[in-house]
Amino acid sequence: MKQGSKENDVQAGNGNGIIVLNNIAKKFGANVVLDNVSLTVEKGKTTVVIGPSGCGKTVLIKHLILLLRPTSGEVYFKGQRIDNLSERQLNEIRTHYGFLFQGGALFDSLSVFENIIFPLRQHSDMPDFRQVEELVKSKLAMVGLDGYQNYYPAKLSGGQRKRVALARAIALNPEVILYDEPTTGLDPIRSDVINELILKLQRELNVTSVVVTHDMTSAYKVADRIIMLHKGKIIADGDADHIRNHPHPVVQHFINGKVDDDDLAVLRMSGTMSQAQFLPRDFEQ
Amino acid sequence: MIIGMVGAKTIGGISNMGRFARFSWQAIMASFRSCLSPCTYPLIWTQMNIIGVRSVPVVMITGAFVGMTLAVQAYDQLAGMGLEEHLGVLINISVVKELGPVLAAVMLAGRIGGALTAELGTMNVTEQIDAIRSMGTDPIRYLAAPRVLACLLLTPFLIIYADLMGIVGGYFVSVVQLEINSRAYWSFSASGVELWDVSIGIIKGLFFGVAIAVISCYKGFTCKEGAHGVGQACTEAFVASFISILALDFALAVIFKSIYNTFWSLRSLV
Repeated sequence: MKQGSKENDVQAGNGNGIIVLNNIAKKFGANVVLDNVSLTVEKGKTTVVIGPSGCGKTVLIKHLILLLRPTSGEVYFKGQRIDNLSERQLNEIRTHYGFLFQGGALFDSLSVFENIIFPLRQHSDMPDFRQVEELVKSKLAMVGLDGYQNYYPAKLSGGQRKRVALARAIALNPEVILYDEPTTGLDPIRSDVINELILKLQRELNVTSVVVTHDMTSAYKVADRIIMLHKGKIIADGDADHIRNHPHPVVQHFINGKVDDDDLAVLRMSGTMSQAQFLPRDFEQ
Repeated sequence: MIIGMVGAKTIGGISNMGRFARFSWQAIMASFRSCLSPCTYPLIWTQMNIIGVRSVPVVMITGAFVGMTLAVQAYDQLAGMGLEEHLGVLINISVVKELGPVLAAVMLAGRIGGALTAELGTMNVTEQIDAIRSMGTDPIRYLAAPRVLACLLLTPFLIIYADLMGIVGGYFVSVVQLEINSRAYWSFSASGVELWDVSIGIIKGLFFGVAIAVISCYKGFTCKEGAHGVGQACTEAFVASFISILALDFALAVIFKSIYNTFWSLRSLV
């Protein structure tokens, strides 16, 4: 593994940061999604990133594992600069991570068992099949789905798919688990199951977690620290109480699920709904 | 305004070609590495079954119709000159050298190229390719390399099947339907078709196979979001594969002709 230069390997931010983003900017064409974001993810803690849809949360979490490369800025993992590594060098670093994708991203041509052994098969020799079976069983038991080994993803519900994806994410006993919208699309009960699982993994495996969500119930339940992104910048950073009492109006509108005055003005400006409707005769010559 | 648009399109086209060249290089290098790694053999075997074995019927049907159509079309011209017994040479050399390999490859581009792009494109838009990367695995090595190897190894065999069926189809129409003397048919064929002609058709298959696989995988890996994106990628993959097959066919014809003129004609002296 190529090591970064000594100068590059300085620990950016505080000493307990397992992942550090330093002045990260990300542009897609002219669209600036992240605007000089700096963030230190603390070891063993659960950091929740909140923000409205399209504010760059998923782009941010993908920078933590370098699934997206920053336009400018640096990413450090355990003090080592990683944004300048090649894909092959990054593959070794990525084995320290588990990533739960928004839709689960299970391989639909593989069974639950094969999905979970996928990372094991790629990174270990797996000589003893019985040992592997036990391992898969234990990972599935952790997410409450032991017995589903032979199911295919298409046969599972949305919540079950996310739990299997979580079992796959923890297959290599990662130090960091990244959750991209873990409760989106689930009913409140299933959402709470996922929240409990995040807390359970935190307790039992002592992992560092980063959760991207816009579900405030989930955020308050699992977070040690909450960060709010708005227009590509961090506008609030603190524990749940700090966020609840944050003076910034955008934070208050978001956490209380309230439309701000600017958005309301746009809706009112268009006139009544009946005026906005078209009838077939409007298109007749 | 117009200059700006043309400039943007040109830059976009060049950068797209650069990305494709880079992807092709990575896929070919990953394929070489996969050959040396026994743990990837099951993946290659699976793809060989999907790409090769299941393509045999369509390729054979294509070859048979090519041979039969050639016989029907060429008979009148040759019979007019009293050369109908030479029909076998015309059919067989056309089939093994040009029409068999090209039409079999076009059929494969439609059958497996579209399927590869749709499969990888769907994996891309549902973040399955990102999931592979997030688990520290190179998706080009895991997904593209087995497909490239399967196409590389099996396209020549599929072309042999197409050639065989083309020969059988041509023989059937010429001898059974048009009542050309069987012995004359085969004897003119044997004198006119050389091992060289058969070989270049098969060697073309190696190039066609790699082109189909690399283009289809690239389109799948870079396909845009949604059902429309996947559909568009499949169409683009087929069109690009088709044009590449024709372009490669032309380039290889020129190269093989110079090789033939330089070396093959000297073999009797050797």
